[in-house]
Amino acid sequence: MEIEKIIGGLHPLERKVLPVLNKVNSLPDVAKETGLQEVEVMRAFQWLQNKDIVKINEELKEVVDLDVNGKEYLKIGLPERRFLTAVKEKELPISALIEKSGISKEEVNICLGVLRGKAAIFIKKDRELVASITEQGKKLLDKESFEEQFLRREFPADIKTLKDEEKFALENLKKRKNIVKVELKKSKIAELTELGKNIIKAGIREESVIDRLTPKLIKTGAWKKQKFRSYDVRINVPPVFGGKKQHYRRFLDEARQKFLALGFAEIDGPIVETNFWDMDALFMPQFHSARDIHSAYFIKEPKYSKLDEKLVSRIKHAHENGFGTGSKGWQYKFDVKLTHRNILRTQGTACSARILASPNLKIPGKYFAIVRCFRPDVVDATHSADFNQIEGIVVEEGLNLRHLFGLLKMFAREFANAEKIKIVPGYFPFTEPSCELHAYTKELGWIELGGAGIFRPEMTKPLGVNVPVLAWGLGIDRLAMFKLGIKDIRELFSHNLEFLRSVKVV
Amino acid sequence: MPTITFSLKDLNKLVGKKLSVDEVQELAQYGKGDFEGYNKASDDVKVDFGDTNLPYLWSVEGVARLFKGILGKQKGIPKIKINKSDYKLIVDKSVSNVRPYVAAFVAKGHKINDYLIKQMIELQEKLCENYGRRREKVAIGVYQYGKINFPVYYKATDPESVKFIPLDFRKEMTQQEIVEEHPKGKDYAWILKDAKKYPILIDSKNSVLSFPPIINSATTGKIEEGDGDLFFEATGTSLDAVLLATNIFAQALYERGFTIYSVAVKYPTKTITTPYLFDETIKLKKEMINSFLGLDLEDYNIKRLLEKMQYDYLAGKIKIPPYRGDILHPVDIIEDIAIAYGYDKINELPLTTLTVGSTFKIIEFVDKVRDTIIGLGYQEIISPILTNKEILYKKADIGDFGTVEIENFMSETYSCLRTWILPVLLDVLSKNKHSEYPQKIFEEGPVAVRKGDEIRDYRRIALVSANNVADYTEIRQALDSLMKALNLKYTIEETEHNSFIPGRVGRVIVNGKKVAYIGEISPNVLDNHGLEVPVVGFELNLTNLFESMQ
Repeated sequence: MEIEKIIGGLHPLERKVLPVLNKVNSLPDVAKETGLQEVEVMRAFQWLQNKDIVKINEELKEVVDLDVNGKEYLKIGLPERRFLTAVKEKELPISALIEKSGISKEEVNICLGVLRGKAAIFIKKDRELVASITEQGKKLLDKESFEEQFLRREFPADIKTLKDEEKFALENLKKRKNIVKVELKKSKIAELTELGKNIIKAGIREESVIDRLTPKLIKTGAWKKQKFRSYDVRINVPPVFGGKKQHYRRFLDEARQKFLALGFAEIDGPIVETNFWDMDALFMPQFHSARDIHSAYFIKEPKYSKLDEKLVSRIKHAHENGFGTGSKGWQYKFDVKLTHRNILRTQGTACSARILASPNLKIPGKYFAIVRCFRPDVVDATHSADFNQIEGIVVEEGLNLRHLFGLLKMFAREFANAEKIKIVPGYFPFTEPSCELHAYTKELGWIELGGAGIFRPEMTKPLGVNVPVLAWGLGIDRLAMFKLGIKDIRELFSHNLEFLRSVKVV
Repeated sequence: MPTITFSLKDLNKLVGKKLSVDEVQELAQYGKGDFEGYNKASDDVKVDFGDTNLPYLWSVEGVARLFKGILGKQKGIPKIKINKSDYKLIVDKSVSNVRPYVAAFVAKGHKINDYLIKQMIELQEKLCENYGRRREKVAIGVYQYGKINFPVYYKATDPESVKFIPLDFRKEMTQQEIVEEHPKGKDYAWILKDAKKYPILIDSKNSVLSFPPIINSATTGKIEEGDGDLFFEATGTSLDAVLLATNIFAQALYERGFTIYSVAVKYPTKTITTPYLFDETIKLKKEMINSFLGLDLEDYNIKRLLEKMQYDYLAGKIKIPPYRGDILHPVDIIEDIAIAYGYDKINELPLTTLTVGSTFKIIEFVDKVRDTIIGLGYQEIISPILTNKEILYKKADIGDFGTVEIENFMSETYSCLRTWILPVLLDVLSKNKHSEYPQKIFEEGPVAVRKGDEIRDYRRIALVSANNVADYTEIRQALDSLMKALNLKYTIEETEHNSFIPGRVGRVIVNGKKVAYIGEISPNVLDNHGLEVPVVGFELNLTNLFESMQ
């Protein structure tokens, strides 16, 4: 009775596979015997195993397959055949033969060995080697060699099933470069259990059960008179990969939403910046160490961009002697040509400089930018080719350091769920006072989240802004790594599809 | 990146208080330093002063000085006594267009040991490499005082004319030979690349002290354990920088127990006696301090805080210590007041003004596009914007259409900005041949294209589908679905594009604007990537599409 119930629940694939297991039992053999695809047989095997009808064992098999040269030779013929064909009409020096047949030097050496072994050619030494065909060689040309027959067979092939002449051919080809490859492969073997044997004995009859519910069955109501084949609902199914957002992009999207919710307006700027916007407008002196050839990427062509020269001269004035802000400035000769030089943006702060100088600036106003930045570094676990920065400003009359600290503490809570927050003195050429934001979480301990400060008057005044500007930048790449549990920064930009498919969305 | 190492015992001796490692870590923050660690066995403390602008802290004496101020062990500008002397350093006008400035002093009366030599060399190197811009702006030499016959001359000479034995060598060499053969000569020759004459310091008996900024003489320019009297000089291209470096060194040696003697540096037109204590004062109003910091400080608070940071303060006038060159503007002092007050004691205030958050219309637009494509079952990818021409053009079988290339790239792999995204996705497919098919991926993001002297950024989106039965219909369905979702009418024209199979590639037109290529990727291109499955795809210029809709 039990057996009858099991038989009733068999899937059509199982029904096809089960009867042949008396004869063959390895996965490829069963596939061949039943005409099913290997994945289908595999699924049937697993279901049958779940029902204790079969037991699946793994067997290691030696399997031979064509390698790159093998595939090539299958198309254009083995070099020895091409060699013989080339000398069929008349003898040829080796160099001429190479040219005529397109055989490589390496292959020629192999041909010489093989063909002399078979007495198919005769070699004489003139200024160089000269090859001619023998009678034996002509005969060889007329019939297919074991090696050639072997190449035409089906691959991959189980070495155990090879015929003697195939084994002979394989041994010969194995000695040559990249024609065949022999690999150990795991193969599944399904062995019938006692229950399985009993089921086969009982006979698998075609039963009138509904396998798949069809529109016709529904329309005609025929389903009412039949039973549904029952499924094993616990079964594993093959994976499907839906579309989803890239993990790091999702993180950046969420950060953007957060800033929008906090009343910040998004700003941006071009990837290719000038020294002017990237550094000079930020009051970074042109002799600053972050500005030499090792710290920024320079553009090959065009080398320079146009700028608003009135603004350039204000910035020049600020660098040289402080632009009447009460500062003595950096006290050096500002290089006007250098300020026009094109570089890849090194810091998001360039975007803040642009909005401060823009007629669109609103006071009071809050701004943020999420932008790609670039600095020369060897790519490794902590440096990627490009990186993202989130930075921004708050512009308003009457703001002071206490407001900045309030803003930073809010960021630490919002973005890092910080339990403890520490703000310590820091240094940036364009802010004073400057500070660094550190946050403590249970999982990570103390981490540095970013830097901030109040823009120097020498920076804001030449850009036309005479109210305090609070500025901050968050190390968003690092924050993302912490949040996503990633150790290697390159995984933020991962090209590994299996990894991308496996990343969780929560 | 100046990271300095010193003995904790030595620090404690200089500070005059036994500090724990935790206290050192805490106090270092007042100098913007990150405590890197303490080695109990060697008693070494490591502090990283990062990218800061306070070179006086790059020695244990400087660190001790700061700590003494914070701990209240010393108020106001630290003492330094500079004794008058007859020592002269005569500057010849020949240096004026090579390396015009020099400053010097003599320090006597304190025997030095190996530890001190190491400390001095460390300060010297940090000042020269970081503050001195790899010796270009400032280079420093220290010598055995007893071997020098004053006056000392600083001049520029023909590179072949003077010979001396440089440090680390045994034979006499000309300056030309040093630049070509000596390891330091090769390292720093770039500083003198435009000079026809080379600077030299030489004493009154024609004994060479050094060839600045390259190398000292092995005879006079080597200090050893047991030496007690030293001659110090700094040369460079900026007078202020040379004077500051000299002040920093003099202050450190003074605090170490040396007696400092000045040197009169005679330029052709003026004489500067060094160390030159700038004696700079700055006026700062209470109101300005309070408005920057949001505090309510009174004059006596301000005085106390400033003295903690080792300024002198009298009636609104602040005197700056001679080893501080970083004060450009009153805000620099305001920061020091805040640091002395304690960042941890400054209470935060909330921002109360209401502002409206907003983003760019195109960002809202691209997010909708991305959502639609994800709904079609495509996995999102993001890649570096930096890539190479091999991927962009050679493997894609097309010509360069306006690449922004980097002059000083670190590796060929990342040597230009991407101009389009589809080839990057093919590269992704080629790295994932072992992963299960079908593979459907897309990327949205910026590209940069150069047209003559103009460079422009565009946002583009590309998608590819790789599977055994991928064909034009499949990708056209994806495009169609996207366009319908965006409520856009489009047409497709026959076109040619070498990355696609001829006759199976189309140009997508919206509102009269060409916005995309769509088609089946040519087997040639698949071959270039080692791909063995058919691939279809399209690439859409979202900036152009968005502009056409406005």
